[in-house]
Amino acid sequence: MEMTEQLENTARQFEERVRPQIAEAKRRLSELNDQATDFIKANPGKCLLGALAAGYIIGKIASR
Amino acid sequence: MEPQQPEAGGRHRDGERGRTLGERVERVGDTAQQAWTRTREAVDDIKGTLDLQGRVDRHPYGTVAAALGIGYLLGGGLFSPLTGRILGLGLRMGLRLAAIPVLRDELFGFVEALGERQAGGQTGGRGGPARETEQAKSNKERQP
Repeated sequence: MEMTEQLENTARQFEERVRPQIAEAKRRLSELNDQATDFIKANPGKCLLGALAAGYIIGKIASR
Repeated sequence: MEPQQPEAGGRHRDGERGRTLGERVERVGDTAQQAWTRTREAVDDIKGTLDLQGRVDRHPYGTVAAALGIGYLLGGGLFSPLTGRILGLGLRMGLRLAAIPVLRDELFGFVEALGERQAGGQTGGRGGPARETEQAKSNKERQP
């Protein structure tokens, strides 16, 4: 019983320690996603041409 | 056309020439302007047909991925080993994803059928080993 309680306590502490970090990472990823989406919407020509060029280079490298 | 006046010979010719040149310049200007207008209309038509801005607004990542794919194809990556690997991986994942629901349904059906057989109990029919042992026990109890 003591062992189980100890394990539960450890798991709870671990969860309490990790939960804010996960929330922070989630928030940062969400911000990054918003920034990327906004940038693509603001500069569609640059993004599409860049992606086209990147794809072309990758295709060239892959075909060698 | 105005009639030429012989008195002012050279001047008139110069004036005529100048006017003709002016007309020519004007005509060239008009033609260039028409060509520019037509080109702009054509570009606007193409933009309207492709609706790039709308597509980017609706699916930003999808449009960029499509551009990346088009560039990859233009770069000659279609018949490369990398494409083969990517396609093979996609095919395997797709088959697994498609097979999982079918297998799950089959397993649920099998488990349900087993449960019904066990619950249906003593009304005869085929049964598994557990059912056979139950029947054997009940037969033994019935025997004097």
